[in-house]
Formats: sequence, structure tokens, C-alpha cells
Amino acid sequence: MWGFYFNELVHSLPFFLKGVWMTVAVSGLSLIFGTIIGFICGILRTSGNTFVKLIIGIWVDLIRGTPFLVQVFIIFFILPSFGIELEAFPAAVIALSNLAASFICEIVAGGILAVPTGQREAATASGLSGYQQLRHIILPQAMRTILPPLVGQYVLLVKDSSVVSAIGVVDITRVGWLAVQRVPEGLMVFGLVGLLYFAICYPLINLSSFLEKRMTVVSTRL
Amino acid sequence: MLEALNFRVILEYMPLYLQCFAATLWLSALSLLGAILVGIIACAMRLSQSWFLKRMAGIYIESIRSTPLLAQLYFFYFGLPSLGIMMPEWVTGVIALTLNSGAYYAEIIRAGIQAISYGQIEAGISSGLSYFQRMRNIILPQPLGMTIRPMLGQAIVLVKDSSLLSLISIMELTRAGQMLTSDRFMPTEGFLTTAAFYLVIYYMLKVFSSWSEKRLVFQETH
Amino acid sequence: MISFKSVNKWFGDLHVLKDINIEVASGEVVVVCGPSGSGKSTLIRCINRLEPIQEGELVVDEMAVHDKKINMTKIRAEIGFVFQSFNLYPHMTALQNTTIAPIKVRKMKKEEADKLGRKMLTRVGLEDRIDHYPAQLSGGQQQRVAIARGLCMQPKIMLFDEPTSALDPEMIGEVLDVMKSLATEGMTMMVVTHEMGFAREVANRVVFMDEGKIVEVAPPNDFFTNPQTDRGKYFLSSILTH
Repeated sequence: MWGFYFNELVHSLPFFLKGVWMTVAVSGLSLIFGTIIGFICGILRTSGNTFVKLIIGIWVDLIRGTPFLVQVFIIFFILPSFGIELEAFPAAVIALSNLAASFICEIVAGGILAVPTGQREAATASGLSGYQQLRHIILPQAMRTILPPLVGQYVLLVKDSSVVSAIGVVDITRVGWLAVQRVPEGLMVFGLVGLLYFAICYPLINLSSFLEKRMTVVSTRL
Repeated sequence: MLEALNFRVILEYMPLYLQCFAATLWLSALSLLGAILVGIIACAMRLSQSWFLKRMAGIYIESIRSTPLLAQLYFFYFGLPSLGIMMPEWVTGVIALTLNSGAYYAEIIRAGIQAISYGQIEAGISSGLSYFQRMRNIILPQPLGMTIRPMLGQAIVLVKDSSLLSLISIMELTRAGQMLTSDRFMPTEGFLTTAAFYLVIYYMLKVFSSWSEKRLVFQETH
Repeated sequence: MISFKSVNKWFGDLHVLKDINIEVASGEVVVVCGPSGSGKSTLIRCINRLEPIQEGELVVDEMAVHDKKINMTKIRAEIGFVFQSFNLYPHMTALQNTTIAPIKVRKMKKEEADKLGRKMLTRVGLEDRIDHYPAQLSGGQQQRVAIARGLCMQPKIMLFDEPTSALDPEMIGEVLDVMKSLATEGMTMMVVTHEMGFAREVANRVVFMDEGKIVEVAPPNDFFTNPQTDRGKYFLSSILTH
């Protein structure tokens, strides 16, 4: 039987590769949107006014305090009742971007706060504007703290993207779920699913720990 | 938006929600206990002298960390039956959650143990403390104090991750939202109520986290 | 050049500057000393509004610093500030540290700013350290880069907040030498420091502060040989025994 199932699985490989493409597309788009929104919110959180800070704080807590699956359901099922009809794919990208943005916001805010206050004071004293300080003095230094956990966040993003299979996005996990209906050999099918995720995530995990080591070396040198 | 909510239906389903809330709590608690146990064992293996044990723990931790929980859950859900092992869904769910969080706990505990400086151990030896006194009074309280935040952070992740169990038909909070959606087609009521219950757990753990951290720091300074 | 009139400042409930009145003329060198927590650093940090004041008038080069609506960028560009902890930008070379503000604030061309930066680094004796990063420089060298950074804005006033107290003793001299040459060239300077030798040699006046108040203002020789107040005497005896 194993041989037969294995052949079946080999035949559905193109289907699995489509799933890989979908996982990469959903995570890649969310990575771009999440990073942009996350950086903006993280900067606002450290330099905006109190009201903006409060709103961002509440948003971060709401996203961190609820499961991603529930967020996906809320965006997919509830937005239509406000007249916003969404296909599964855009709903998935919105949910995942939102999740990524909330975590990246915290990473960026932490990185900015880790820059010694003397740096901001020195820049203020020489007359640099708030934007100039951020652009030339604060962010370049904060990036050392931000980069390793940011890449770590991208790993979580790829893994969390598996949850959008629940609303019918045909990603790696969904392909596995469909395949197992035909090839009832769960270990084999989801072993393959795991391998495909591993192939995407493992390099990212290594990149993250490489950056972490490198940034520590660099910052002790400076 | 709030006046648009049908509170009558929410009230009608409240007994179900409370039952599911309890289910989420005990499924998470059980998995948490298991995960800490697995984490301690995996960490001990990783820090052991044996090449084989080290390698096994490494493979376990790496493969968990580089694949999504949902794929792991399906791996057990569809895989165990194909090995002829039949068990109730909730057992499969708890196994998947335990093994998943166990890998993360192994890393948290390891980071805590490795952060103790050898000077601390030497100081303990030179002041004449016995091995058990050193362990009890000097070594163990330190990683406990340092790791309490990541430990509770992982507990929050575990509670949220337990929402994925709804996808293998286990009755818990997210499943309750799905029921309200499929029975009455009221996803707004269904998932917002679900989200509110998760937020309760989230805030309780968050408050507990900062409280226990303060307490432990306080003890350390005494 | 700098004029404090009845200036008061609080940190929350803490009254850190109490009714400060002092005038600093153009080309004058004023040394501010006093025990820690006396408010001396706060005093000079108010001048370019690193700390805002709550009451009174503070006028710098005919611009009202106490006025909340005033654009500080222009005033700050006229004032060089040197910090105790240098606060050099660690991701920039010595030259980049000195040219960033001229390029961004004064909108100077890069070549022009580089020329100016080299000139100022040469002036503080660091012509051979232009492309070094702060971490590759000694404390004394870092502080001299910080002074050059301030000078690159071609300021009318230089403020120094304990510029030598984070330095190893053997490096203090090189920084003080640069400051002395600035003073002889006629720069208006306010210096918070405990270097009494420097004060004696260079300062026109010494301001002694305690508990947020200016207790004594006197020419250095008078203050060191014959302090008028008990607190001044006590302070001098405590630093001389160090």
C-alpha cells in the first residue's frame, strides 16, 4: 500500500508546489505590508502624541490577546456584514499583515527605545529636526536591535500563514488536507507538508541567529 | 457597531461559551504542564554529554520550530490513525500542543540556565553551600526570575494556539464561535464573543506576569 | 549673550532651579561649579532647551528661549553643546559626526562640509583620526571629536556639561587644552566642571550653585582664595581633598 500511496503523492507534487507558491505569496505580501505598517506604528508609538500611543497600545493588545484563527474568521466573516466583500486570498493577506504589523510595531518601538537618550539629545543640540534625528541618528542604530527579531518574526509569519487554510486558501497546509482525503496516509502527507515548510523556514531561522550573532559583535565593536 | 450586536443570541449561547471557555482552560493547562515537562527533558538532553541525546533533542526542537503548529496537528490527527492508533480528538490535540510548546520551553529553560554566570556557582561553593543548597538557593531561583516572562509569554501563545483545535472538531472557544456562525449565521456575535473570552485569559496572564516578575525581583534583592 | 531673569524650573515636584539671575557677555568664559544635584547641568541644558523652563525669561543672542512658540532649530544651530558622555554617533566616522548637522541643518554641500569638518578636526588635533569610528578612539579623542562637532556649526556660544568627568585622568589635559585655546580665541563659553585649575586660568567668572540656587558669583581668584559663603568654603575644601 505504501508504494501505491507514495506514487499517488508523487503525482500530486505539482499540486503541492502550487501550495508552496500560495504560502510564499500570502506570507510575502503580508511581510511587505506588515513591515511598512509595523515600522510606521512603531515610530509613532515612540514619538507620537499620547492619544496615538494609546490607540496603538490597545490595537497591539487586541491582536496579541486573541488567536490568529479568530482574527482570520472575524475579517473573513464579519467584514462582509459591513458591506466589504472579501475573497479568501485578500482576507488572508489583510489578517496576516495586521498580525505581522502589530508584532513588528513592538519590535521597532523596542529598538528605538534601546538607543541611548544621549544620542537624541546630541542630535537635538545640533539642531537636527525630529525627522532628521530619526532618519540619520536613531533608526540606523536601532536597526541593530530590530533586525534579528524582525527576521524571526518573518519565520512566525510563514508558520502562521498555515492558519489561513481554514478559510479555504489553498496553501501548503490546505493542499495537505485535500491530499489526505485521497491518500489516507497522514504521516506521509503531512511529513511532506512539514518538509516544505521546513525548506522555507529553516534558512530564515538560521539567518535570524546569524544576524543576532553579527549584530552583537558589531555593537560590542562600536 | 455594538447596538448591531444581537445580545439575546449571545446570552442564549452563553452556557455553551462558558463550557467551551472551561474546555479551553483545561486543555491549555494540561498541555502547559506537559509542555514544561517535555521542555525540561528536551533541555536536559540538549545540555547532556551524550552526542546521541543532544542530536535527538536538536532534531526535535528544530523540526518543531520550523513547521507550523497546524501542520503538526494534522500530522498527528491524520497520521496516528494510519499507524492504527485511534484516540479521541482531544488527546491528539493535547499531544500536538504539548510537543509544540515543549520545544519552545526547552529553549527558554536553556537560555535561563546558560545565563547564570560560573562566578555565581563559585561564589556558592566558596561560601560553603552544599550542592543542594546551591541549586535551591542560588542556581534555580535565577533562571526562574529571568525566564518567568518568556515562560508566561509562551503560555499565552499556547492558549491562543489551542484555538486551532477547533479545526479538528474539539469543542473549545473558537469552536463555539464557529457553531454560532453555522447554526444562526451570526459570525459577528460568534467570533467577537470568542475573542472577548480569549482577551480575559490574555489580560489575566499579562497581569500575573508583571506581578510575579516584580515579586521575584523583590525577593532577589533581599 | 545669555541672560537668565528669575528663571525657575521643576522636575515634577522637585524645584531644581530657583530664581536664577545671571548675564553672560559675549566673549566671556563662565565656569559653573557646585556639588552634584545642585542644578548646574540643568542650568546649561536650559540654554538650548534640552530642558524647558517653567518660569522666567531666558534670552540667548536676542532670541527668547522661554517662548514656547519660538523655533529652537535656529538657536540650537548657534550653540555648540558638549556632553559628559560624548554622545558621538557610533555608526558614523569622526568626519561624519562633524558634518551631519552642517549638511542637514545648514544645508551645506557635502564637499564644503567635509572641508569644514577636516578643518575643525585638525583644530582639535585629530587630523589623523578623521575616518575612525568612535569605538576606535580613546575617551579624550572622542570628546575632542564632540567639540569639533559643536564647532562645525560655527556657533556663537559653546556649552560644556562636565566634559572631562567621564575621562581617565591622563586624557583630561588634551581636552582642556582644546577648550583653553577656544577661550583665548574669544569664544563665549559656559562650562560645568570641577577642574579648578582650568577655571583659575581661563574663566572670567565662577558661578557656584547649591540646591538649585546661585550662591556665589565671583572672579576665580576671589572665589578660590576667599569664598564668601560657608557652603562655598565647604565645597572647595571637599574638592581640594580629592
